[in-house]
Amino acid sequence: MRMLPALAACLALALPAGPSRADWPERNITMLVPFAAGGPTDVVARIVAENMSRTLGQQVIIENVAGAGGTTGITRAAQAAPDGYAIMMGHMGTHGAAPAVYPGLKYDPTKDFAPVGLVAGTPIVIVARKNFPAKDLKEFMAYVKANGPKLNEAHAGVGSVSFTTCSLLNSILGVNPTRVVYRGTGPALNDIVSGQVDYMCDQIVNLVPQIEAGTIKAYAVAIPARSPAIPEVPTTKEAGLPEFQVSAWNAIFAPKGTPPEIVAKLNGALVKALEDPTTRKRFLDLGADLSDTASRTPQGLQKLVESEVARWNKVLKGTGQAAQ
Amino acid sequence: MTRGEGNAPRIRAPQDLLAGLALLVLALLAFWASRALPAGRLGAPGPGFLPRVMAAGLGLTGLALAVLSFLRAGEALGRFTLRGPLLVLLAVAGFALTIRAPGLLVAGPLVVVVGGAASPESRPRELVIFAVIITLACAGLFRYALHLPIPVLVIPGLVNL
Amino acid sequence: MTDLLANLALGFGVALSLQNVGLAFVGCMVGTLIGVLPGVGPIATITMLLPITFGLPPVGALILLAGIYYGAQYGGSTTAILVNIPGEVTSVVTTLDGHQMARQGRAGAALGVAALGSFFAGCFSTLVVAGLAVPLTRLAMVFGPAEYAALMLAGLAFAVVLARGSVLKSIAMILLGLLLSTVGTDLETGVDRMTFGLPALSDGLEFAVLAMGLFGFAEVLRNLEATETRDVVQAPIGRVWPTRQELLQSAGPVARGSLVGAALGILPGNGAVLGPFASYALEKRLAKDPSRFGRGAIEGVAGPEAANNAGAQTSFIPLLTLGIPPNAVMALMVGAMTIHGIVPGPLVMSRNPALFWGLIASMWIGNLMLLVINLPLVGLWVRFLRVPYRLMFPAILLFCCIGIYSVNNSPSDVLLTGGCALLGYAAGKVGLEGAPLLLGMVLGRLFEENLRRALAIARGDPWAILQRPITAGLVLAALLVLTAAILPAVRRGREEIFTE
Repeated sequence: MRMLPALAACLALALPAGPSRADWPERNITMLVPFAAGGPTDVVARIVAENMSRTLGQQVIIENVAGAGGTTGITRAAQAAPDGYAIMMGHMGTHGAAPAVYPGLKYDPTKDFAPVGLVAGTPIVIVARKNFPAKDLKEFMAYVKANGPKLNEAHAGVGSVSFTTCSLLNSILGVNPTRVVYRGTGPALNDIVSGQVDYMCDQIVNLVPQIEAGTIKAYAVAIPARSPAIPEVPTTKEAGLPEFQVSAWNAIFAPKGTPPEIVAKLNGALVKALEDPTTRKRFLDLGADLSDTASRTPQGLQKLVESEVARWNKVLKGTGQAAQ
Repeated sequence: MTRGEGNAPRIRAPQDLLAGLALLVLALLAFWASRALPAGRLGAPGPGFLPRVMAAGLGLTGLALAVLSFLRAGEALGRFTLRGPLLVLLAVAGFALTIRAPGLLVAGPLVVVVGGAASPESRPRELVIFAVIITLACAGLFRYALHLPIPVLVIPGLVNL
Repeated sequence: MTDLLANLALGFGVALSLQNVGLAFVGCMVGTLIGVLPGVGPIATITMLLPITFGLPPVGALILLAGIYYGAQYGGSTTAILVNIPGEVTSVVTTLDGHQMARQGRAGAALGVAALGSFFAGCFSTLVVAGLAVPLTRLAMVFGPAEYAALMLAGLAFAVVLARGSVLKSIAMILLGLLLSTVGTDLETGVDRMTFGLPALSDGLEFAVLAMGLFGFAEVLRNLEATETRDVVQAPIGRVWPTRQELLQSAGPVARGSLVGAALGILPGNGAVLGPFASYALEKRLAKDPSRFGRGAIEGVAGPEAANNAGAQTSFIPLLTLGIPPNAVMALMVGAMTIHGIVPGPLVMSRNPALFWGLIASMWIGNLMLLVINLPLVGLWVRFLRVPYRLMFPAILLFCCIGIYSVNNSPSDVLLTGGCALLGYAAGKVGLEGAPLLLGMVLGRLFEENLRRALAIARGDPWAILQRPITAGLVLAALLVLTAAILPAVRRGREEIFTE
């Protein structure tokens, strides 16, 4: 009986003290995507995960946990063990606008994570129904300013990218349209195509096919340079609204306390994926924007998160469009 | 209409009475739960509009059922047994509590054995053997064949299947 | 016409390659298996198997995934008939008469009719998709939020007709379902409604949780009590195949169900959900003896099953012609196509005809395969019912628990299901049924969202909404159906009270 404590002590010493960093990864890694499968963030995650799996030698498995604009999944992923086997794909909503949109948010994007790196940006495009009475962005702005409350703006729910970005647009233009909510961008886009509602701000990924086919009108894309996927659409700077610059960025995060060596390995795999020609082509075909290489480092991403949180705080709190 | 002793009105449809009262209680619960929600008006319904309208409708139907139970004949209440529901509930709760931590290899047999015990016809030894076999089969099917992320065996720090 | 034939020829050329036929087979097999397993749905499976499709050419990958989708629809009906657990929303109606048929020893007939009816409906809808996809899409564009709200209202009126027993109780359960559909975060304002502060509830009540609790587990509890009358096992199996008379009886319902299902499936926004309910209500209205429904009427299986499968096929239309997915599974298909480098949109038909027509041709092949796979399985399933109940029900419990857990990786979902099981058991004791509640829950969310959307667009003027022709028509239809359902019951009730 007296042997028992000694035996226990020996066993405790023999067990691994923590994650064995040198051999990471030794098994599959789970990447949590806080949105439904098939959506733009999910597609971005799967494209990058496939390539990273090859570099790391272990499968990167996608797990979808949707809800509350992505915050449900991120809240759960933030509490995972910081051993590098549970990472997440966050985006401008979950790690930028969330503190302003959700007052009861259970995490702090600037403090509770170990940033890995930016994956891609998805530029925002201002689109309207096919027969909207405006030829270009200047006419659009004039019409919206003149007819504000009479117009119907579609968005995919409080906290979604289409909601926060159009909040920014509306506050820049100083207008107050009727905001019509949909359960996801699919139904919202459907009603834009069928002409039931007037305009929307959404990620380019969802819109390229419709713009190409001419079923909707695109007025401007809110990034510094034109997107190669829709080259005929001018930038907001060219078209007369330079203040509207938004890209719904997607980035990989790990839980706080993940060892720096593991973060570095993840980052290495990410950068390799983003430089691979096939992966790049897939992203560019979708209209994604791979130009922001500065935020591809953990430090760069942290800076991006901090600046975005500040920015959206100003925009959303100021307009009082936050959720109650 | 015949009357029982003491001139109390006779309940002709006990099931309906119980159903009506239960629905009434649920309706009141719903009213209470949605008390803080702004209702808006007919042209601009707020988040509290539909819950309250539905709760009102539910309450009215419950009331109607309860009243009608005195007026027209219906079925009597059956027996409520305790063993079955209790054991099944325990089994399901046990699964929920053990699936994440020890994992399927513990949660599975737990559900099968505890749940199986709810039947008066259960044979213990057969049940235990069956529990092990079917748990292993499920692990193989769900986890390895279908690639669903069900934790099979998780001991924090040691094993993570 | 010649265009259509040429395109179909192209499509079959693509779809009949050895690899694609093999993929269709695998997809349908996996899909049927998924559908049979409670809780595990096509969404989870397609998500899991997506990485495996990376090595396949795009057409092949889509054929595989599509096969899983309609295979799951059919598998869900199998569990609905055998053990009263609806795998999908669309199988809820099948439980009503299908399971009753199983209890009477006619499981084989129910499964057989479901398979044949689904095959016929699938053939019909594949033709619809092939020939009428574009004009139908344009027609569907006419449906705005107001029309949807009215359609859902009509659907709720159908739900009253679903009742086996008292109309009043049925209405009560529909209202309760509507009430439960509001639990969760409000889409428009972001506030939590009736969640009692529980984060598990803030995304609303999961359909699988309620379906499994109210139907599956509650059924187990009921069976445990009624050991004398439990006859799923003891009943002589009898004929495994439907009789000639049963087939004749099913012909009309299958034809009507296919039409109804195909029409509703086209509507983006999950119109396909309504198909089986509408078909059931229609058949009950048309039948010479409506009281047979809910007690094992074969029309109650044939029609809804046909509608189910027809809707599943035509719900591909918005995806293929517009690139806009009408429901969560189609959204996954969009994701899958995107990952494979094909961005779905209005131009896919002209830019990628091999893909478009190959997928359509493969739909027909998939339907054929489902028939080939499932008819022989009927004998197997029926024999499966002979497993002693004392072992079968713990296995059902285990499968359901795993299935529920796998939907959201959430143990609290499993606990909620247990709670629903108790509620379902208690509700059964007082004559309250689960089917109207489930329908109320599914339609309630769609109804409320579309109503609020329509009112927002109409600036708060309800009359403006009613002036839209389709909306007015649907609201009128709803009122008619409701009156037709309630009047006889009221008249009967009055008689009962006054003949005392």
